[in-house]
Amino acid sequence: MLQYTKGRPLPLWLKSGRVQTGLVIIFILAVCAIFAPYLAPNDPNEQNLLSILTPPIWAEGGDAMFPLGTDSLGRCVLSRLIFGARVALTVAFTASIGAMVIGAFFAHVAGYFGGWVDWVIGRIVEIWLSFPPVILSLILMVGLGTGLRNVVLAIILVDWTRFCRVLRSEVIVLRRRDYVSAAQLIGFSHWRTITREILPGTLPLLITLMSLEMGVAIIVEAILSFVGMSVGSETAAWGQMIADARQNIYDAPFNLIAPIFAIFFAVFGFNILGDGLRRTLDTRLTQTERT
Amino acid sequence: MRMFATIAKLLVKRVLTAIPILLLVSALLFCILRILPVDPAAMSLPPNATVQEVEAMRAEMGLNLPLYQQYGIWLNKLFHGDIGRSIHFRQDVTSLIGSTLPATIELAVIAMMVATVFGLAGGLFLFYVRGTRAEAVMDFFSILLLSLPEFLWSLFLLLIFGVFFEVLPFTGRLSPGFERPLVTGFLLLDSLITGNIPTFFNALQHMILPCLALGIALSPSLMRVLRSSLLDAYQDDYIQQARLRGLSEKRILIRHGLKNAILPTLSLMGVQFGFLFGGTLLVEIIYSYPGMGNLMVDAIRNADLPIIQGAGLTYCVAVLVISIVVDSLYLILNPKLRVR
Repeated sequence: MLQYTKGRPLPLWLKSGRVQTGLVIIFILAVCAIFAPYLAPNDPNEQNLLSILTPPIWAEGGDAMFPLGTDSLGRCVLSRLIFGARVALTVAFTASIGAMVIGAFFAHVAGYFGGWVDWVIGRIVEIWLSFPPVILSLILMVGLGTGLRNVVLAIILVDWTRFCRVLRSEVIVLRRRDYVSAAQLIGFSHWRTITREILPGTLPLLITLMSLEMGVAIIVEAILSFVGMSVGSETAAWGQMIADARQNIYDAPFNLIAPIFAIFFAVFGFNILGDGLRRTLDTRLTQTERT
Repeated sequence: MRMFATIAKLLVKRVLTAIPILLLVSALLFCILRILPVDPAAMSLPPNATVQEVEAMRAEMGLNLPLYQQYGIWLNKLFHGDIGRSIHFRQDVTSLIGSTLPATIELAVIAMMVATVFGLAGGLFLFYVRGTRAEAVMDFFSILLLSLPEFLWSLFLLLIFGVFFEVLPFTGRLSPGFERPLVTGFLLLDSLITGNIPTFFNALQHMILPCLALGIALSPSLMRVLRSSLLDAYQDDYIQQARLRGLSEKRILIRHGLKNAILPTLSLMGVQFGFLFGGTLLVEIIYSYPGMGNLMVDAIRNADLPIIQGAGLTYCVAVLVISIVVDSLYLILNPKLRVR
């Protein structure tokens, strides 16, 4: 383990520009999500039926009360955008952690024990992969019913295979290492060998995958709320804003641009963080590839 | 001759493994959708039906039987080509899927062609600028592209080319007033067969935006894989050998570099094509394109179980077929795998 004491230079991964960019973006989003009630100029659900589909403040006819205009029910677009970050980030963190835990567990079990355990887990993953993820998550949402908790559950149930597939091959490489055999010879239990000897080796890949998965989760949530299968209509979500704007595309094109940009911004943040982490944490990459 | 034998062997093996997968998927679909708090019997009767009528209907539909028996009956019907009747559309699910599937396949195939063109061009360009300052910029750019899924691309393109510039149509498959020839269900093909050129061009115009959206969204991952496989290939001795033999760089790239680097790209394309097939769902909704995606979402909104099951299974079959086709192609293109 690295010890971070005073005067020690920053760890390599924090020096990467990509990681820094990603962290800054995620920090901005997190501030929006946590302090949404203080940052949003209006109540995101308050309908102002007298001023529907007003343009943003800089366009002709813009209202200073609604900096980014209003939607078809006269709700403030900026406020909904800010509150939408809550749903997006909640889903991003909880779903990716859940998918990671399940995926990593099965990957380690399959890769470590091999044999029939590996075979069974491999076949389960294969069945999952024969479904396009969007279709599977939609079907799961039909079965589970709408709501934030079920969105998270659906994403976990669909995306754990992403972790499982990639991590499994990493575990297979690691378990052939001498130090793993040494641990087994000393008499470490299977559980202890996996958590103490193998897990530290798969951790860099795991963290990278998780960062990418957060971006995927945000997209899936947006897709589900776009087709009306995510959180209820009383919770602001970016996908819902897109669905509403799609109906009024000629009257208020800007309403579409705002949530598209928000989703892109968030996904880009997680992707660039993931790419930065991959470059700096992957021990097999050469020094030149990292910079 | 030996090549055909290996491919035939692979096909048999893959089809045999596909059958249990499909059985399990169908069981999964059946179970997920049976635990729903929706009563299909009550839904298929008028709202003023009495409790006795609903009970009679439940008995008739076999909903009182244990779950595994229901599944057995459903599976038996499935083998006879009967996936049931849509409660909402009052039509056979098979005919509903039959009328929408060609549209989706057409969309997916053309989008895949677009993705291939962009992916190859982009990958070659990324490889071409390797080691220069442009590489970092392009690499950054490709992550930017990776962060825009087909869903956002479709909206974005629709906004630019459909709403701001009004150069391309963005709803449906044909503009009103165009005659729709019906031979195979593949609109582009049908209009060519019947020699209906105006319809062909109109249909093509309608496909530009959705196919571009799907294709562009898919291409960055292809680009990145092609670039890294080209970099790998150029590490090998045969490239240096070819240089020593005095071959031109272009010839080395096409005959030696690309020929080896295309394999990982191809196998990624197989996986991606499955994703793309699912991605058509969103694109179809955004462009009001009458394919399986729209059918599926309509069915979900109306809790129309037979369609959801049928369409879900069709998507699954499509993915399996695609992966088998890609694997066979892989075998044809990769001589290393043919040697026993």
